[in-house]
Amino acid sequence: MSGPDAMHGEMPGFIPGRPGGEHDEPLLDTIFDRRPLPPGAPPEMRALVRTLAAAAGPAEPGELAGEAAALAAFSRLAPSGGVSTAAERPARRWLSGWPARGRLPLTAALVAAAAGLGSIVAAYAGVLPGPIQEMAHVTVGAPAASGGNGSPTHVVSSQPPSSPRVTDSSGHRQARRAGPVPAPSQATSPQPRREPTGRSTGHPVPSCTPGRAHTPPKPSPTQLPPTPGPGQTVGTPRPSATAGCPVIVIQPSSSPTR
Amino acid sequence: MIGAAFGDTLARAQAGDEAAFACIFRDIQPALLRYLRVIAPDPEDVAGETWVQVVAGLGGFRGEEQAFRAWLFTIARHRAADAGRSRARRPAVPLETSGAEDQLTSPDTADLALEAVSARAAVAMIATLPAEQAEIIMLRVVAGLDTADVARIVRKTPGAVRVAAHRGLRRLAGQAERMGVTQ
Repeated sequence: MSGPDAMHGEMPGFIPGRPGGEHDEPLLDTIFDRRPLPPGAPPEMRALVRTLAAAAGPAEPGELAGEAAALAAFSRLAPSGGVSTAAERPARRWLSGWPARGRLPLTAALVAAAAGLGSIVAAYAGVLPGPIQEMAHVTVGAPAASGGNGSPTHVVSSQPPSSPRVTDSSGHRQARRAGPVPAPSQATSPQPRREPTGRSTGHPVPSCTPGRAHTPPKPSPTQLPPTPGPGQTVGTPRPSATAGCPVIVIQPSSSPTR
Repeated sequence: MIGAAFGDTLARAQAGDEAAFACIFRDIQPALLRYLRVIAPDPEDVAGETWVQVVAGLGGFRGEEQAFRAWLFTIARHRAADAGRSRARRPAVPLETSGAEDQLTSPDTADLALEAVSARAAVAMIATLPAEQAEIIMLRVVAGLDTADVARIVRKTPGAVRVAAHRGLRRLAGQAERMGVTQ
Protein backbone atom coordinates (compact mmCIF):
# COMPACT_ATOMS: atom_id res chain seq x y z
CA MET A 1 0.00 0.00 0.00
CA SER A 2 1.37 3.40 -0.83
CA GLY A 3 0.35 6.90 0.09
CA PRO A 4 -2.10 7.46 -2.75
CA ASP A 5 -3.70 4.07 -2.13
CA ALA A 6 -4.35 4.77 1.51
CA MET A 7 -7.49 6.27 2.87
CA HIS A 8 -7.25 9.89 3.89
CA GLY A 9 -5.50 10.14 7.20
CA GLU A 10 -4.22 6.58 7.34
CA MET A 11 -0.63 7.51 6.51
CA PRO A 12 -0.21 11.01 7.84
CA GLY A 13 3.57 10.93 7.77
CA PHE A 14 3.77 9.93 4.14
CA ILE A 15 4.20 12.81 1.75
CA PRO A 16 3.83 11.70 -1.89
CA GLY A 17 6.67 12.82 -4.08
CA ARG A 18 8.81 13.84 -1.11
CA PRO A 19 11.94 12.18 0.17
CA GLY A 20 11.10 8.98 1.92
CA GLY A 21 11.92 5.34 1.98
CA GLU A 22 15.57 4.61 1.50
CA HIS A 23 16.51 6.71 -1.49
CA ASP A 24 17.17 9.71 0.72
CA GLU A 25 19.74 7.96 2.89
CA PRO A 26 22.75 9.55 1.18
CA LEU A 27 21.17 12.92 1.84
CA LEU A 28 20.60 12.05 5.49
CA ASP A 29 24.18 10.86 5.82
CA THR A 30 25.29 14.17 4.34
CA ILE A 31 23.36 15.95 7.06
CA PHE A 32 24.86 13.76 9.77
CA ASP A 33 28.33 14.45 8.45
CA ARG A 34 27.60 18.18 8.49
CA ARG A 35 28.45 18.56 4.84
CA PRO A 36 26.64 21.16 2.73
CA LEU A 37 23.46 20.02 1.06
CA PRO A 38 23.39 19.71 -2.71
CA PRO A 39 21.67 22.57 -4.54
CA GLY A 40 18.53 20.61 -5.33
CA ALA A 41 17.87 19.44 -1.79
CA PRO A 42 14.20 19.52 -0.75
CA PRO A 43 13.12 22.39 1.52
CA GLU A 44 12.26 20.12 4.44
CA MET A 45 15.83 18.88 4.41
CA ARG A 46 17.03 22.45 4.61
CA ALA A 47 14.69 23.02 7.53
CA LEU A 48 16.09 19.88 9.11
CA VAL A 49 19.66 21.10 8.73
CA ARG A 50 18.77 24.38 10.38
CA THR A 51 17.04 22.63 13.25
CA LEU A 52 19.97 20.32 13.87
CA ALA A 53 22.43 23.19 13.67
CA ALA A 54 20.47 25.03 16.31
CA ALA A 55 20.37 21.97 18.54
CA ALA A 56 24.15 21.66 18.30
CA GLY A 57 24.78 25.38 18.54
CA PRO A 58 26.87 27.28 21.04
CA ALA A 59 25.99 27.52 24.68
CA GLU A 60 22.95 29.57 25.54
CA PRO A 61 22.50 31.63 28.69
CA GLY A 62 22.12 29.43 31.71
CA GLU A 63 23.63 26.33 30.20
CA LEU A 64 26.95 26.90 31.93
CA ALA A 65 25.38 27.67 35.27
CA GLY A 66 26.74 24.46 36.72
CA GLU A 67 30.35 25.39 36.07
CA ALA A 68 30.98 26.67 39.58
CA ALA A 69 29.69 23.46 41.12
CA ALA A 70 31.69 21.34 38.71
CA LEU A 71 34.87 23.26 39.47
CA ALA A 72 34.21 22.91 43.17
CA ALA A 73 33.89 19.16 42.73
CA PHE A 74 37.07 19.17 40.68
CA SER A 75 38.94 21.09 43.39
CA ARG A 76 37.64 18.74 46.05
CA LEU A 77 38.31 15.49 44.21
CA ALA A 78 41.41 16.50 42.28
CA PRO A 79 44.18 17.62 44.61
CA SER A 80 47.09 19.64 43.38
CA GLY A 81 49.02 16.45 42.81
CA GLY A 82 46.59 15.42 40.13
CA VAL A 83 43.61 13.13 39.96
CA SER A 84 44.41 9.67 41.23
CA THR A 85 44.16 6.98 38.66
CA ALA A 86 41.93 4.00 39.06
CA ALA A 87 44.92 1.68 38.93
CA GLU A 88 46.44 3.29 41.97
CA ARG A 89 43.42 2.60 44.12
CA PRO A 90 43.85 -0.37 46.40
CA ALA A 91 41.45 -3.23 46.07
CA ARG A 92 40.18 -2.75 49.60
CA ARG A 93 38.93 0.66 48.61
CA TRP A 94 36.91 -0.88 45.83
CA LEU A 95 35.20 -3.20 48.24
CA SER A 96 34.78 -0.62 50.95
CA GLY A 97 33.05 1.57 48.44
CA TRP A 98 30.17 -0.86 48.37
CA PRO A 99 27.23 0.12 50.45
CA ALA A 100 26.81 -1.90 53.62
CA ARG A 101 23.56 -3.34 52.40
CA GLY A 102 25.43 -4.72 49.40
CA ARG A 103 28.17 -6.35 51.48
CA LEU A 104 25.80 -8.12 53.85
CA PRO A 105 24.23 -10.45 51.25
CA LEU A 106 27.67 -11.22 49.88
CA THR A 107 28.97 -12.22 53.29
CA ALA A 108 25.88 -14.32 53.99
CA ALA A 109 26.24 -16.11 50.67
CA LEU A 110 29.90 -16.90 51.34
CA VAL A 111 29.12 -18.25 54.81
CA ALA A 112 26.27 -20.37 53.47
CA ALA A 113 28.46 -21.77 50.70
CA ALA A 114 31.23 -22.65 53.16
CA ALA A 115 28.77 -24.31 55.53
CA GLY A 116 27.21 -26.33 52.72
CA LEU A 117 30.57 -27.50 51.47
CA GLY A 118 31.65 -28.48 54.96
CA SER A 119 28.45 -30.44 55.48
CA ILE A 120 28.98 -32.40 52.29
CA VAL A 121 32.55 -33.22 53.25
CA ALA A 122 31.42 -34.35 56.69
CA ALA A 123 28.69 -36.45 55.14
CA TYR A 124 31.14 -38.30 52.91
CA ALA A 125 33.43 -38.77 55.86
CA GLY A 126 30.53 -40.39 57.66
CA VAL A 127 30.90 -38.37 60.83
CA LEU A 128 27.48 -36.81 60.95
CA PRO A 129 24.87 -37.92 63.46
CA GLY A 130 22.74 -40.83 62.36
CA PRO A 131 19.61 -39.13 61.02
CA ILE A 132 21.55 -36.41 59.30
CA GLN A 133 24.00 -38.91 57.87
CA GLU A 134 21.11 -40.94 56.51
CA MET A 135 19.59 -37.84 54.97
CA ALA A 136 22.92 -37.15 53.32
CA HIS A 137 22.99 -40.77 52.19
CA VAL A 138 19.65 -40.39 50.49
CA THR A 139 20.26 -36.96 48.99
CA VAL A 140 23.90 -36.82 48.00
CA GLY A 141 24.95 -40.45 48.09
CA ALA A 142 27.06 -40.22 51.21
CA PRO A 143 27.72 -43.44 53.13
CA ALA A 144 24.73 -44.69 55.00
CA ALA A 145 24.56 -44.27 58.72
CA SER A 146 25.08 -47.36 60.71
CA GLY A 147 22.21 -48.55 62.76
CA GLY A 148 21.51 -47.08 66.12
CA ASN A 149 24.76 -45.60 67.36
CA GLY A 150 25.33 -43.26 64.45
CA SER A 151 28.84 -44.47 63.75
CA PRO A 152 29.74 -45.73 60.31
CA THR A 153 30.02 -49.43 59.58
CA HIS A 154 33.51 -50.81 59.65
CA VAL A 155 34.18 -54.20 58.16
CA VAL A 156 37.58 -55.62 58.62
CA SER A 157 38.60 -57.66 55.67
CA SER A 158 41.50 -59.98 55.25
CA GLN A 159 41.43 -59.60 51.51
CA PRO A 160 43.14 -56.95 49.48
CA PRO A 161 40.92 -53.99 48.92
CA SER A 162 40.58 -54.80 45.24
CA SER A 163 38.24 -57.65 46.01
CA PRO A 164 34.72 -56.66 46.72
CA ARG A 165 33.87 -57.91 50.11
CA VAL A 166 31.12 -55.73 51.28
CA THR A 167 27.64 -55.91 50.07
CA ASP A 168 25.05 -53.83 51.73
CA SER A 169 21.86 -52.11 50.98
CA SER A 170 23.62 -49.15 49.50
CA GLY A 171 25.62 -51.17 47.05
CA HIS A 172 24.14 -49.34 44.13
CA ARG A 173 25.12 -45.99 45.49
CA GLN A 174 28.51 -47.29 46.50
CA ALA A 175 29.07 -48.47 42.98
CA ARG A 176 28.41 -44.98 41.73
CA ARG A 177 30.60 -43.46 44.39
CA ALA A 178 33.46 -45.83 43.81
CA GLY A 179 33.70 -44.87 40.17
CA PRO A 180 31.34 -42.58 38.38
CA VAL A 181 32.42 -43.95 35.03
CA PRO A 182 32.37 -47.71 34.98
CA ALA A 183 35.28 -49.59 33.59
CA PRO A 184 34.84 -50.87 30.06
CA SER A 185 34.39 -54.38 31.29
CA GLN A 186 31.68 -53.18 33.60
CA ALA A 187 29.98 -51.08 31.03
CA THR A 188 29.83 -53.78 28.43
CA SER A 189 29.07 -56.79 30.53
CA PRO A 190 27.69 -55.90 33.86
CA GLN A 191 27.44 -58.81 36.17
CA PRO A 192 24.16 -58.95 37.97
CA ARG A 193 24.41 -58.84 41.69
CA ARG A 194 22.11 -60.90 43.73
CA GLU A 195 20.70 -59.34 46.78
CA PRO A 196 19.98 -61.34 49.91
CA THR A 197 16.48 -61.83 48.72
CA GLY A 198 17.85 -63.68 45.75
CA ARG A 199 16.61 -61.08 43.35
CA SER A 200 18.98 -59.85 40.65
CA THR A 201 19.44 -56.11 40.47
CA GLY A 202 21.29 -56.02 37.17
CA HIS A 203 23.91 -53.66 38.58
CA PRO A 204 27.57 -54.48 38.66
CA VAL A 205 29.24 -55.22 41.95
CA PRO A 206 30.89 -52.06 43.19
CA SER A 207 34.60 -51.74 43.01
CA CYS A 208 36.59 -50.99 46.14
CA THR A 209 39.38 -49.37 44.21
CA PRO A 210 38.07 -46.32 42.52
CA GLY A 211 39.64 -45.51 39.25
CA ARG A 212 41.11 -48.96 38.76
CA ALA A 213 39.72 -51.02 35.94
CA HIS A 214 38.94 -54.52 36.97
CA THR A 215 36.79 -57.38 36.00
CA PRO A 216 33.81 -57.59 38.22
CA PRO A 217 33.86 -60.74 40.21
CA LYS A 218 31.55 -63.40 39.14
CA PRO A 219 28.92 -64.37 41.57
CA SER A 220 30.37 -67.23 43.48
CA PRO A 221 28.79 -69.59 45.89
CA THR A 222 30.97 -68.16 48.60
CA GLN A 223 29.21 -64.86 48.31
CA LEU A 224 25.71 -65.62 47.37
CA PRO A 225 24.24 -68.47 49.28
CA PRO A 226 21.78 -67.48 51.92
CA THR A 227 23.47 -69.69 54.37
CA PRO A 228 27.11 -69.48 55.26
CA GLY A 229 29.37 -71.93 53.62
CA PRO A 230 32.63 -73.32 54.73
CA GLY A 231 35.15 -70.72 55.58
CA GLN A 232 32.67 -67.94 55.47
CA THR A 233 31.15 -65.81 58.08
CA VAL A 234 27.97 -64.27 57.05
CA GLY A 235 26.89 -61.57 59.32
CA THR A 236 23.39 -61.32 60.42
CA PRO A 237 21.33 -58.87 58.48
CA ARG A 238 21.61 -55.60 60.25
CA PRO A 239 18.83 -53.15 60.18
CA SER A 240 19.94 -50.33 58.03
CA ALA A 241 18.92 -46.78 58.59
CA THR A 242 17.01 -47.24 55.38
CA ALA A 243 13.97 -49.14 56.41
CA GLY A 244 13.50 -52.47 54.71
CA CYS A 245 17.02 -52.66 53.30
CA PRO A 246 19.03 -55.14 55.38
CA VAL A 247 22.78 -54.99 55.32
CA ILE A 248 24.75 -58.17 54.99
CA VAL A 249 28.42 -58.07 55.75
CA ILE A 250 30.35 -60.99 54.38
CA GLN A 251 33.65 -61.80 55.95
CA PRO A 252 35.71 -63.58 53.35
CA SER A 253 37.82 -66.60 53.83
CA SER A 254 41.45 -66.76 52.98
CA SER A 255 40.71 -68.47 49.71
CA PRO A 256 40.36 -66.25 46.66
CA THR A 257 36.87 -65.67 45.55
CA ARG A 258 37.55 -64.92 41.92
CA MET B 1 35.01 20.20 20.08
CA ILE B 2 38.39 21.22 21.40
CA GLY B 3 40.27 19.51 18.60
CA ALA B 4 44.01 19.08 18.43
CA ALA B 5 44.54 20.74 21.79
CA PHE B 6 42.38 18.21 23.60
CA GLY B 7 45.21 15.88 24.55
CA ASP B 8 47.20 18.63 26.22
CA THR B 9 44.11 20.04 27.89
CA LEU B 10 43.15 16.66 29.27
CA ALA B 11 46.66 16.05 30.55
CA ARG B 12 46.65 19.35 32.38
CA ALA B 13 43.24 18.63 33.84
CA GLN B 14 44.45 15.24 35.01
CA ALA B 15 47.37 17.00 36.68
CA GLY B 16 44.94 19.17 38.61
CA ASP B 17 44.79 22.25 36.38
CA GLU B 18 41.41 23.80 37.10
CA ALA B 19 41.48 26.04 34.05
CA ALA B 20 41.99 23.05 31.79
CA PHE B 21 39.09 21.25 33.37
CA ALA B 22 36.93 24.36 32.95
CA CYS B 23 37.80 24.38 29.27
CA ILE B 24 36.60 20.81 28.91
CA PHE B 25 33.48 21.55 30.92
CA ARG B 26 32.50 24.55 28.79
CA ASP B 27 33.01 22.58 25.63
CA ILE B 28 30.83 19.64 26.59
CA GLN B 29 28.31 20.93 29.11
CA PRO B 30 25.86 22.48 26.60
CA ALA B 31 25.63 19.26 24.60
CA LEU B 32 25.39 17.22 27.78
CA LEU B 33 22.58 19.34 29.16
CA ARG B 34 20.65 19.22 25.89
CA TYR B 35 21.06 15.47 25.66
CA LEU B 36 19.81 15.06 29.21
CA ARG B 37 16.83 17.29 28.50
CA VAL B 38 15.70 14.64 26.05
CA ILE B 39 16.27 11.55 28.21
CA ALA B 40 16.31 12.61 31.87
CA PRO B 41 13.66 13.95 34.23
CA ASP B 42 16.05 16.32 36.04
CA PRO B 43 18.71 17.24 33.48
CA GLU B 44 20.60 19.74 35.62
CA ASP B 45 20.87 17.34 38.55
CA VAL B 46 21.91 14.45 36.35
CA ALA B 47 24.49 16.64 34.63
CA GLY B 48 25.98 17.51 38.00
CA GLU B 49 26.18 13.86 39.01
CA THR B 50 27.76 13.07 35.67
CA TRP B 51 30.51 15.61 36.14
CA VAL B 52 31.24 14.41 39.65
CA GLN B 53 31.75 10.91 38.31
CA VAL B 54 33.84 12.23 35.43
CA VAL B 55 36.08 14.09 37.84
CA ALA B 56 36.45 10.99 39.99
CA GLY B 57 37.53 8.89 37.02
CA LEU B 58 39.41 11.56 35.11
CA GLY B 59 42.84 10.39 36.19
CA GLY B 60 42.26 6.91 34.85
CA PHE B 61 41.00 7.96 31.45
CA ARG B 62 43.17 7.30 28.43
CA GLY B 63 42.03 8.15 24.95
CA GLU B 64 41.26 10.80 22.38
CA GLU B 65 38.59 13.44 22.45
CA GLN B 66 36.00 11.28 20.73
CA ALA B 67 36.52 8.52 23.26
CA PHE B 68 36.32 11.00 26.09
CA ARG B 69 32.99 12.28 24.89
CA ALA B 70 31.69 8.76 24.43
CA TRP B 71 32.81 7.91 27.96
CA LEU B 72 31.18 11.00 29.40
CA PHE B 73 27.88 10.46 27.61
CA THR B 74 27.86 6.83 28.69
CA ILE B 75 28.13 8.00 32.29
CA ALA B 76 25.38 10.52 31.69
CA ARG B 77 23.08 7.84 30.30
CA HIS B 78 23.66 5.63 33.33
CA ARG B 79 23.03 8.48 35.74
CA ALA B 80 19.88 9.38 33.83
CA ALA B 81 18.66 5.81 34.12
CA ASP B 82 19.37 5.88 37.86
CA ALA B 83 17.47 9.13 38.19
CA GLY B 84 14.55 7.67 36.30
CA ARG B 85 14.44 4.62 38.57
CA SER B 86 14.73 6.78 41.66
CA ARG B 87 11.88 8.96 40.51
CA ALA B 88 9.76 5.91 39.72
CA ARG B 89 10.26 4.62 43.28
CA ARG B 90 9.20 7.90 44.82
CA PRO B 91 5.50 8.39 45.41
CA ALA B 92 3.85 10.67 42.95
CA VAL B 93 3.20 14.01 44.57
CA PRO B 94 1.45 16.62 42.48
CA LEU B 95 3.41 19.83 42.37
CA GLU B 96 2.44 23.27 41.33
CA THR B 97 4.33 23.93 38.14
CA SER B 98 4.16 26.61 35.57
CA GLY B 99 4.09 24.14 32.71
CA ALA B 100 7.31 25.37 31.24
CA GLU B 101 9.16 22.31 32.54
CA ASP B 102 6.76 19.96 30.83
CA GLN B 103 7.17 21.81 27.61
CA LEU B 104 10.90 21.12 27.66
CA THR B 105 10.51 17.38 27.38
CA SER B 106 7.19 16.80 25.69
CA PRO B 107 6.05 19.83 23.79
CA ASP B 108 3.26 19.94 21.34
CA THR B 109 4.96 20.83 18.12
CA ALA B 110 2.16 23.18 17.24
CA ASP B 111 3.02 25.24 20.30
CA LEU B 112 6.65 25.70 19.41
CA ALA B 113 7.39 29.07 17.97
CA LEU B 114 10.36 28.74 15.69
CA GLU B 115 10.55 32.13 14.17
CA ALA B 116 14.07 32.17 15.49
CA VAL B 117 15.23 28.65 16.10
CA SER B 118 16.92 28.48 19.43
CA ALA B 119 18.82 25.51 20.72
CA ARG B 120 16.19 24.94 23.35
CA ALA B 121 13.39 24.97 20.79
CA ALA B 122 15.29 22.65 18.48
CA VAL B 123 15.97 20.22 21.29
CA ALA B 124 12.34 20.40 22.30
CA MET B 125 11.36 19.49 18.76
CA ILE B 126 13.74 16.52 18.76
CA ALA B 127 12.23 15.44 22.06
CA THR B 128 8.89 14.96 20.36
CA LEU B 129 10.33 12.04 18.39
CA PRO B 130 10.10 8.48 19.70
CA ALA B 131 12.49 8.17 22.62
CA GLU B 132 14.97 5.89 20.88
CA GLN B 133 15.17 8.04 17.77
CA ALA B 134 15.45 11.23 19.80
CA GLU B 135 18.31 9.88 21.91
CA ILE B 136 20.22 8.60 18.92
CA ILE B 137 19.88 11.89 17.06
CA MET B 138 21.05 13.80 20.10
CA LEU B 139 24.08 11.58 20.48
CA ARG B 140 24.92 11.74 16.79
CA VAL B 141 24.27 15.41 16.13
CA VAL B 142 24.57 17.24 19.44
CA ALA B 143 27.15 15.08 21.22
CA GLY B 144 29.05 14.62 17.97
CA LEU B 145 29.55 10.88 18.32
CA ASP B 146 29.85 8.50 15.41
CA THR B 147 27.54 5.58 14.76
CA ALA B 148 29.80 3.01 16.42
CA ASP B 149 30.07 4.98 19.66
CA VAL B 150 26.34 5.63 19.72
CA ALA B 151 25.68 1.94 19.16
CA ARG B 152 27.84 1.04 22.15
CA ILE B 153 26.14 3.63 24.34
CA VAL B 154 22.57 2.63 23.50
CA ARG B 155 23.51 -1.06 23.24
CA LYS B 156 22.30 -1.59 19.72
CA THR B 157 23.97 -2.60 16.51
CA PRO B 158 25.37 0.13 14.30
CA GLY B 159 22.85 -0.87 11.65
CA ALA B 160 19.96 -0.45 14.04
CA VAL B 161 21.32 2.91 15.13
CA ARG B 162 21.60 4.05 11.53
CA VAL B 163 18.05 2.98 10.71
CA ALA B 164 16.64 4.67 13.81
CA ALA B 165 18.60 7.83 13.09
CA HIS B 166 17.31 8.02 9.52
CA ARG B 167 13.74 7.45 10.60
CA GLY B 168 14.08 10.14 13.23
CA LEU B 169 15.56 12.60 10.76
CA ARG B 170 12.78 11.99 8.24
CA ARG B 171 10.15 12.61 10.86
CA LEU B 172 12.02 15.64 12.16
CA ALA B 173 12.34 17.06 8.66
CA GLY B 174 8.58 16.97 8.21
CA GLN B 175 8.04 18.62 11.56
CA ALA B 176 10.61 21.33 10.88
CA GLU B 177 9.01 22.19 7.58
CA ARG B 178 5.54 22.33 9.09
CA MET B 179 6.87 24.54 11.86
CA GLY B 180 8.17 26.94 9.29
CA VAL B 181 11.84 26.50 9.95
CA THR B 182 13.52 28.03 6.93
CA GLN B 183 16.92 29.30 6.12
